[in-house]
Amino acid sequence: MIYVLVVLLISVPVYYFVVDTIWKNELDEHNRIIADKTAYALNQLKLSGDTLLKSIVLWNSIQPGTNIQSISSSGTIKDSVYTIEKQKSYSEKPNIDRFRCLSTIIYINNKQYLFTVETNIEESKETIAIIAITTIFFFIIIVAGLLVLNRKLSITIWRPFRNTLDKLKTFNLNHQTKIDFDKTDTSEFEELSHSLRELIAHNISVYKTQKEFTENASHELQTPLAILKSKLDILLQNKDLTERQYHIAEEMNKALIRSSRINKNLLLLAKIDNSQFDSSENLKFDMLLQQSIETLEEHFEQKNISVSTTAVPDLSLNGNGSLTEILINNLLLNAIRHTLPNGSITLTLTKSSFEVTNSGLKELDKDLLFKRFSSASADNSGSGLGLAIIKEICRFQKWSVRYRFENGHHIFSVYF
Amino acid sequence: MKILIIEDEEELARSIAEYLSEENYLCEFAASYNQALDKIEMYQYDCILLDIMLPDGNGMKLLEELKLQDKQDGVIIISAKNALDDKIKGLQIGADDYLTKPFHLSELTARIYSIIRRKQFSNSNIVRQNELLIDLLAKTVSVNNDPVTLTKKEFDLLIYFIGNKNRVISKSTLAEHLSGDFADMLDNHDFVYAHVKNLKKKLYDAGSGHYLKTVYGTGYKWMGS
Repeated sequence: MIYVLVVLLISVPVYYFVVDTIWKNELDEHNRIIADKTAYALNQLKLSGDTLLKSIVLWNSIQPGTNIQSISSSGTIKDSVYTIEKQKSYSEKPNIDRFRCLSTIIYINNKQYLFTVETNIEESKETIAIIAITTIFFFIIIVAGLLVLNRKLSITIWRPFRNTLDKLKTFNLNHQTKIDFDKTDTSEFEELSHSLRELIAHNISVYKTQKEFTENASHELQTPLAILKSKLDILLQNKDLTERQYHIAEEMNKALIRSSRINKNLLLLAKIDNSQFDSSENLKFDMLLQQSIETLEEHFEQKNISVSTTAVPDLSLNGNGSLTEILINNLLLNAIRHTLPNGSITLTLTKSSFEVTNSGLKELDKDLLFKRFSSASADNSGSGLGLAIIKEICRFQKWSVRYRFENGHHIFSVYF
Repeated sequence: MKILIIEDEEELARSIAEYLSEENYLCEFAASYNQALDKIEMYQYDCILLDIMLPDGNGMKLLEELKLQDKQDGVIIISAKNALDDKIKGLQIGADDYLTKPFHLSELTARIYSIIRRKQFSNSNIVRQNELLIDLLAKTVSVNNDPVTLTKKEFDLLIYFIGNKNRVISKSTLAEHLSGDFADMLDNHDFVYAHVKNLKKKLYDAGSGHYLKTVYGTGYKWMGS
């Protein structure tokens, strides 16, 4: 665009120069013809000296732009060509015109006369202006045309690319629906689609393998864990066990219980990931919540935590019953764990959300909170999967879970 | 009491048998579907522990077979799969209980105890230990014929101890039994201590002997005959 502008700008003086030169040459030729013709015509008339003088006076007064003057024969005056600018004699307004002039010696009846002819020529200002206007006009046409053409071209040329992009945007590794890219004639785009297809296929297979791996690994671990647990139970029954040995065995037992739990939770996550649950069950959320509160009552009491509940009755939702139970339990247990003794927990169930609010000291790291095995707090006694499971269950049931910290309270909200 | 352990994992089967043998249970093994099929056709068991994932067949089929033959053996499914569908299906076909691996042997023993008691004493299921009388069906307890009021958890604990007489049961195992899937989320297991303390106190106050002993501070043992 700038290039076009520069070229056109340079063309303005060039055009002017060319037009002006052609014009001047033509006019010079024209002036010369007039001078020659005048001299020839006057000679043809063969007027007497007196009549000639009169005629010349008459000529000078009626023939605009020319002038015949008698000059003395002594000395020769060279022809001269020049340009003058002057005010029109008959116009009142200031109006400068440019004239191309020729003064030359003509011979009438063998006497020398100075013949001057002036022909109007376009002023350079006007010429430049007209050329500039024309140039700008064409510049605008070129630019507008280029823009329109470019847009049209890019729409057709980039259409396959846009299609590919739109399809990529809708792709979700979790759903694993294969993408079919449109065929195009452009080899670059065809190559791009091909590469993308391979990349996606590879990703899906890696993702699947990994998911299956988690599930298989957890499954395979169950049996050795079961053997370990049973052996430990037998060891604890040994009558020769000293107190020290008993405590070691009990510590092992605790660690084993924890690893079994982590394993079970991993298995649960893998199963949710692999969509092995029915999410179309009709569940009564308020009833599940009530059940959960009753089950956990002793734990509230033990830490002397006061619980206040406000719940809409008969809230039925679509989802998976056992998963929702896990969701509620995990949220409540999380609140119990992280509330200091004598603290308070508020449960609010509305038609569109469920909120668990508990008193806390400082805000937790939102980015880490729902990630697997990344305890956002200093306390490490959990499996590190409780909140990750909450998030996965919400994702699976197309709910969402959010955390915020307000006025010294942790608030976990689930939106249905 | 005869128990059939259908489990392809030999070590686990042996552990179970070892733990149960001290309780006067006689254990037999079947490591495959066909072995198990032979045994259940030939003998009668008080309780069958059934792993549903066997190398040569699905344990669920055995369950159907038992039902078909109208056998009254109690069945506890022990499975590495914690699939709710399996659980429901198993219980529908006729299993009495479902236990997910890994489990504590004391948990298994308590469940075997309950099932055998239920099967054999379906009308009046009463356990007596000197002055202590427990009605498993009505879920009541009395000492010297005076009723003792226990909470659901306390009664549950008492049955667990009775089912694991003379065994050391650690606090963490009890915590897992009492709170099921929540145990790992809880900071401490003091709630176990609170329940046990209440149970002990109630029984002792009613005039029962000191049957429940503390072992090394964190374990418990029910002394029985």
